Amino acid sequence: MPAQLKAGLVIVGVIAILGLLAPWIAPHPWDTISIRTRFQPPNATYWFGTDEYGRDVLSRLLMGTRLSLAMGVGATLVSVAIGVPLGLMAGYFRGKVDEILMRAADVLMAIPAIMLGLLVLAVTPPALWKTALAVGFVYIPPIARVTRSVTLGLANEDFVQAARARAESTGYVLFREILPNAWPPLIVEASLRVTYAILLGSALSFLGLGAQPPSSDWGLMIAEARAFVDRAPWIALAPGFAMCLLVIGINLVGDGLRERLDPRLKGRVEKV
Amino acid sequence: MAGYVIRRLALVAVVLVAVSFLVFAITAILPANVAYLILGPFAPPEQVKALELRLGLNDPVLVQYWRWASRFITGDFGSSMLMNRPIAPILSEAIQRSLVLTLTSFVLIAIIGVALGVAAALRHNRPLDHAVSVATYLGIAVPEFFWAIVVILVFASYLGWLPASGYEPLSAGFWGWAQHLIAPTITLVFAHLAHVSRLTRSSMIEVLQSPYVMAARAKGLPERVVVVRHALRNAMLPTITVLALDIGRLMGGIVVIETVFGYPGLGRLLVFSIQQRDIPMLQASIVVVAAVYALANLGADLLYAWLNPKIRYGRSIA
Amino acid sequence: MTTTGSSMLLSVERLGIRYRIPGGAVTALSDVSLALGRGRTLAVVGESGSGKSTIALAVMGLLGPEADISSGRILFEGTDLLTLDAEARRQLRGARIAIVFQDPFSVLNPSLRIGEQIGEGLVHHNGYTRGAASSRAVELLREVGIAEASAVAAAYPHELSGGMRQRALIAGALATEPDLLILDEPTTALDVTIEAQILDLLEELRARRGLSMLFITHNLGVVRRIADEVAVLYAGEVVESGASAQVFRAPRHPYTKGLLAALPRLEARREPLASIPGRIPDMRSPPAGCRFKPRCPFAEDPCAQPQALAPTEDRLVRCWKTDGLAATQWPKAAEDAPQGRATVAEPAAAPIVAVEHLSKTYTLTRGLAALSFEGWRPVLRPVRVRAVDDVSLTIGRGEVLGLVGESGSGKTTLGRAILRLVDPDAGTLRVGNEDVTRAPQPALSAMRRLAQIVFQNPDSSLNPRKTVAEIIGRPLRRFGIVAPRETSKRVRELLDLVRLPAHYANRYPHQMSGGEKQRVGIARAVATEPRFIVCDEPVSALDVSVQAAIVRLLAELRDRMDVAYLFISHDLAVVAHLADRIAVMYRGRLVEVGAADEVLRPPFHPYTEALLSAVPTIEGPAASRIRLPFEQRRSVADAGCCFAGRCPRRIGEICDREPPPVRRPSATHTIACHHELATLADAPGTVTH
Repeated sequence: MPAQLKAGLVIVGVIAILGLLAPWIAPHPWDTISIRTRFQPPNATYWFGTDEYGRDVLSRLLMGTRLSLAMGVGATLVSVAIGVPLGLMAGYFRGKVDEILMRAADVLMAIPAIMLGLLVLAVTPPALWKTALAVGFVYIPPIARVTRSVTLGLANEDFVQAARARAESTGYVLFREILPNAWPPLIVEASLRVTYAILLGSALSFLGLGAQPPSSDWGLMIAEARAFVDRAPWIALAPGFAMCLLVIGINLVGDGLRERLDPRLKGRVEKV
Repeated sequence: MAGYVIRRLALVAVVLVAVSFLVFAITAILPANVAYLILGPFAPPEQVKALELRLGLNDPVLVQYWRWASRFITGDFGSSMLMNRPIAPILSEAIQRSLVLTLTSFVLIAIIGVALGVAAALRHNRPLDHAVSVATYLGIAVPEFFWAIVVILVFASYLGWLPASGYEPLSAGFWGWAQHLIAPTITLVFAHLAHVSRLTRSSMIEVLQSPYVMAARAKGLPERVVVVRHALRNAMLPTITVLALDIGRLMGGIVVIETVFGYPGLGRLLVFSIQQRDIPMLQASIVVVAAVYALANLGADLLYAWLNPKIRYGRSIA
Repeated sequence: MTTTGSSMLLSVERLGIRYRIPGGAVTALSDVSLALGRGRTLAVVGESGSGKSTIALAVMGLLGPEADISSGRILFEGTDLLTLDAEARRQLRGARIAIVFQDPFSVLNPSLRIGEQIGEGLVHHNGYTRGAASSRAVELLREVGIAEASAVAAAYPHELSGGMRQRALIAGALATEPDLLILDEPTTALDVTIEAQILDLLEELRARRGLSMLFITHNLGVVRRIADEVAVLYAGEVVESGASAQVFRAPRHPYTKGLLAALPRLEARREPLASIPGRIPDMRSPPAGCRFKPRCPFAEDPCAQPQALAPTEDRLVRCWKTDGLAATQWPKAAEDAPQGRATVAEPAAAPIVAVEHLSKTYTLTRGLAALSFEGWRPVLRPVRVRAVDDVSLTIGRGEVLGLVGESGSGKTTLGRAILRLVDPDAGTLRVGNEDVTRAPQPALSAMRRLAQIVFQNPDSSLNPRKTVAEIIGRPLRRFGIVAPRETSKRVRELLDLVRLPAHYANRYPHQMSGGEKQRVGIARAVATEPRFIVCDEPVSALDVSVQAAIVRLLAELRDRMDVAYLFISHDLAVVAHLADRIAVMYRGRLVEVGAADEVLRPPFHPYTEALLSAVPTIEGPAASRIRLPFEQRRSVADAGCCFAGRCPRRIGEICDREPPPVRRPSATHTIACHHELATLADAPGTVTH
């Protein structure tokens, strides 16, 4: 296994476990307001300090881990569930179907991602699950595009023609011949999308269109910490670094997967 | 080539019309009742009825769309619900300010990002390359708003060199105006540099490994010539594509950056209009953004086509 | 005879090169010694994995960082190139030693004009100005036979055809007047008629300029045509080297014998092809003794000792048994004896495939993409290609029809159209006596069982994610050929039929060689017990030694299973070995159809004549040579003869405007030509068998 993959899996694994066990391992309650302990810098009791309401930053961070992971994975599942079949159809059937789908993708991609997300969230009272859906929706076109280009390449391979020469049904060709060869590059793309989803989701929460107080979503934590950034920078820095770490870990996993999956697919060809 | 240009223009027009309909659909149709959205859930029914009448909200969707679109094209963007003033002048001022910010950032990102990417590719697998790779890896992991906070912390709170937020018009003096631009620009540049640099590096590496670069070396050409005349020339094409994509991300970036720095541009306007449920302002802003993005992409596509002999010259002669 | 010493232009002495790979190293070359005299041509011949391209890269100094030169010297005019520093080597490269690569497209910079790329060497090595280099480039293009030299010099690579690009590249290589020209498979990617022109050009240039050439190829016929001396490379070692005429007339090393026995030859089309069993050794740990031993029919115990390249009579051979084997031929195994066929093709029985007036046109630009301008007027001009144009043919039961044509002839499209993998635009198609022209795809299930296909490229014809058992088992299950319980038994039987061991059933494609993958593809095709198989260039991507085995396998299956083939190929020699009848295709139309014997003898269609004349043979130069101009001289009206633009026997306007009548030298032989049969029969040079 490539080194990157190992490192990435370790980082992501540790964060995921911390997040899962958060309610039990958090040293202090994440939502108890206590005016006495406000703005404490990192010390022995509160490892990452406390925020403007006296809440332990570390505990809030841990609870927020679940939200970020859920956002990343949830939104990506939505994009993949809708984008991959659309891309498969566009790449395999070509012609009118392809034209329509690609124009639709163009239209959605004509608006920068965050603005499209804002647009969708503008018309309904905010909630984190809605943000995840919106982010998923925003990322359907890029996933569809990638799937389409992978499918285009595969549809020309002779073994697909061989399947048609056996009068196999379209479903068989798509799901038993093409998809098994398409999912390696798609897995790599999806893992990178998770990072985009986490970043976009937290940006939307930062702007107030995602998680609502008193949630400890990382983007929201940073937004709330803005006002006190010179007085108590740790409130903003902790979630920021946590997010970087998580994103780096997922990127390592994605790159490692790409290393691992690519050469095996192409086989080993030595030209002398 | 001429055919290509016409086709692209036609595509842009179609896409923009579709975008405008999409925006209209989401804001005017999606919410169960737009009037309640604007006035709030507890508004008295008479107010709601009055608003619905005023905005023509009970007419069929297509009629509403047509009304809005036909006015839009003639430059009448309607009136802001919030400020009760015509939208067009507000928008145009905001766009100008955002453009200053975006263009400056874009130029810096393009120059520094491409230079770093090319340099790293040329020193592939040597210390500079590793340093750049690591730095960009970290760079893409940091969210924009976090960069903003860090920049404020360092330059405003800690060093005190720059104001943390705000804006002064150019008319009030050059330095006053400029100093409010520096921090947001630095933030945008930091946030997007990594992405451009990474993609430039990988496309340059790919070009450097291509058969025609090996053939150029096989002719015994000096390395300088191989890199500039053969490699760079062809690596420019994918770089244009990368930069075109980055324009979009940059435009998305101003939403957060302007909000954090209190810079009164299009991004901050957009966020305000959402928070205040100013639907007409929201519709107009997004369509304008899409138009600017589409035109920028068109420009990039045309530049790409111009530089790529396959598209520019088309046909075979023998 | 090759001699050593400083009189040699290029002398490679005991060169050893390895490539570092994750987990070890792969040996590319061991103890390779070559010598090239001034004004001579040395060919290095080998199959894939022999290491021949590595030699070219090593001489040029273009080896990658993962290459280790473990031993030896490369002497160019007496100086060891390996001791020179990078700058000194760079100055030699392109100036004194030039190279022409295999793929003329990817080695050209797509963003620079041809003239600029040709003249570059002059600017940097000979101090020319840009302007002087440009004019010299145009002169060079003219010298290599390009008529519209200025237009081509101003063009971009994508605007030219493969043959033109290769000519331009040769011109570029010669610009700086190098002493040594290395050519690495320069004609492999080109059609045979274009290849013939390029070889003519090289011979001409050699005579005119006294060029010394190092020519790397796998094609023995090309070697015979162009090279004075030949070195045969196997698994990184030179196994035989000497004058090419001698080596081919009387090969001494067993590998050379085997190669020549495996080569399909038009003159010997009735003789069964021998093949070389096995594969090259694993070069990660090459055996200490003779590397050919596992595949050699003459091997004995002493062969496990390292063999030295020793002089014998007129050449060098790496085999201790060479003198004893001097007169021995490569053995023909008992199974090579031609078997009786299950049924003799009866002309009276209904043909298995009947095609009438089939046409297929591709529109390359749709809708707005076809928009362009003439002056200021917008005009919609879609680009259409008639891949298949009014083709009619029949294939009888158990018969092999060879379909021959070069790139762009439409032969692949025709094969796919017959299987309805591509839908024809016009005409009728009958398979197994049923009209399947317009039937919707789901209704074709029965036909699909009857008619199958074997593909060209072994790398893309098998699903990389499926095991052999799944690949072969799928058609069995899909058509219910056997009860589900019996599937693995039948899979084993099919593997046996294609001479693969039973345990291959659990292998994945990337674990098999090209020849093995091709066998699996054939097993898959015959699994449904078809009556008809389209073989689309099934051996073109394989080495000669493997090719012969696959051709034999196909012949055997035809005999045993009474299945008809449409055998598509660009290689006439291979087709001649298998085909009962041959059809020659040019630009979508059939120009000549007949029994194999008839087509290979005069009277010929002018295109067939040119094809036969272009094929390089190992017998030596043909009695006469017909050369086709490589560019379309005139554009041809749709109704005229498809070949009029290039035909060396063109009569005049009539060929451009009127469709050629069909001549019938015999009941089964048709030729579409305006010439009278007597004129066509009067062709110089015949192919005897």
